[in-house]
Amino acid sequence: MTDVLIVGAGPAGLSAGIACAQHGLQVNILDEFTLPGGRLLGQLHEEPDGSWWNGMAEAKRLVEQAKNLGVHIDCGVSVYDVAKTETGWRVSTTRGIIEVPKLLLATGAAETTIPLPDWTLPGVMSIGAAQVMTNVQRVKVGNRGIVIGVNVLSLAIARELQLAGIHVDRIVLPARNLLTKDSGNPEKVMQSMLRLAHLAPSTFIRLGSKLIKSEAMLKLALSFLPSSGIRMWGIPIQVKVAALEIFGDKQVEGVKIVKVNTKGEPVLGTEKVIPADFVCIAGGLSPLVELAAVAGCPFAYLPELGGHIPLHNERMQTPVAGLYVAGNITGIESAKVAAAQGTVAGLSIADEFGKLPEKKLLQTAMKKVEVVREHAVIQFDPYIEKGRRTISSMYAQQNTGA
Amino acid sequence: MEPNQIVVCRCEEVTLQELQETANSYQCSSRELKLRTRAGMGYCGGRTCRNLIDMVVKEVTGIAPGDAVPLSYQPPVRPVTFDLLGGKK
Amino acid sequence: MTFGRIEQHPILGAMQNRKSLSFRFDGNTYMAYESETIAAALLANGVRTLRVHEEKGTPRGIYCNIGHCFECRVTVNGVQGKRACLTLVEEGMNVESSVQLPSPLKKGGEHR
Repeated sequence: MTDVLIVGAGPAGLSAGIACAQHGLQVNILDEFTLPGGRLLGQLHEEPDGSWWNGMAEAKRLVEQAKNLGVHIDCGVSVYDVAKTETGWRVSTTRGIIEVPKLLLATGAAETTIPLPDWTLPGVMSIGAAQVMTNVQRVKVGNRGIVIGVNVLSLAIARELQLAGIHVDRIVLPARNLLTKDSGNPEKVMQSMLRLAHLAPSTFIRLGSKLIKSEAMLKLALSFLPSSGIRMWGIPIQVKVAALEIFGDKQVEGVKIVKVNTKGEPVLGTEKVIPADFVCIAGGLSPLVELAAVAGCPFAYLPELGGHIPLHNERMQTPVAGLYVAGNITGIESAKVAAAQGTVAGLSIADEFGKLPEKKLLQTAMKKVEVVREHAVIQFDPYIEKGRRTISSMYAQQNTGA
Repeated sequence: MEPNQIVVCRCEEVTLQELQETANSYQCSSRELKLRTRAGMGYCGGRTCRNLIDMVVKEVTGIAPGDAVPLSYQPPVRPVTFDLLGGKK
Repeated sequence: MTFGRIEQHPILGAMQNRKSLSFRFDGNTYMAYESETIAAALLANGVRTLRVHEEKGTPRGIYCNIGHCFECRVTVNGVQGKRACLTLVEEGMNVESSVQLPSPLKKGGEHR
């Protein structure tokens, strides 16, 4: 008899499973992918102290710990429906129906796309697709590629492609249109890049990032920035170049680019064709909330957390009885935050079952989420904490109002 | 970059131009835009383009998404066979 | 055009000895390693187009590679709609792409 069903075997789901199992609960974790680990599997970056964050090794560690505690992890299973019953949840999966008292959704995030002409051609893929193919499947997505979209994810994964011996020709912005108002705006992109200055100190010190904290200085610096861009790990990041279209006959053959001014407006006559055998599109992440919606959970729209977020409190409970959330479904943050949230969810569920004699553990775990968030190397949005406060107060209102 | 060449919904091959024009003529919600153009109604269940549909509506009508999810989710959230739904095999 | 596999990696190390197997895609036989997905094995063999859009006939390959977009769906041993990015290759597996379908009921004109 399963006490807790967890959807998603990423850092949040695995950590929650471990916390539940440590308190005597029977746990089953389901995941659609062929391997447990979720987004951890592809992650590989250098920490500021020079050590490597190897997500694959981290996933392996969590999976082993969970399995040693008797957690059942089933991969290759999709959940297509969840419904409330008198005693808990009825979860419909591609391997049958599971009845369970408590349900934790740790489904993570989906990538936001940036549509361009001919982006449906084979060889054009999301940046996350390239990450999984490279670091998990260990198959080359191409030999020479262009990344469209400058953000924390695209920079990190471009570096991963380079480590695997794949040439990233350049990272450029998408051309500005109705759907790319921010991602195609050099000023906005530069502002978010400066928050990542600590990832490549020497590059940004050269740029004088300390001096350009002010809006006016940033605009001035941007106007002097050459269109050849800034190099990070030798990869040109060109915030004053935009991709107009992708082209190719039966598969991608290249990208047509154009120089743009500081507002992202194209400079006429500067169009150029760059050959490429693969293209990655990096539009950022948004929480994958479909099961929370089907379960009847209310939402809050918080762009700083990545979009629509299921209401939840600091204990990772939703207003729907027996339904919990953890990880990127609650907002886009790093894998370390997701894991810390997973532990909270697990302890919170154990408490609900009356199996958490040491209440202090839950308090400590909740505190840890905040500490990990504060020390995160990669912060996806400067207003994450504001978003977190909003969702907590909305949850409180919902519960007192109902 | 012509909006008539930009496919937004890959499953149903609906272009940015179609979405923009429809949203403009009807000043409609994401749901209406989806029903009128079929964007977001394809095989993937709108997972890939639903945010873009909301964005078109926001840019054209000036109405940003509210706390309720604009394009509601219906089970099954993954395509499944009739065998599986019927429970017979 | 093939790009091949990443056998060596400066941080992740070398790929361990893996069992090789063979499978078929649209009538051709390809080599794969166990624990590779259909999408990965085909890409390693230089095959990127997994299907064509049912109506427009435009070629499609993987897009998200984690099961969200369903662009890589193929027929596996006669079962339609399998995601090549989430399905592991098995010895003797028969994989087929889809074809463009006739759409006689589609009305003409600019709007759908």
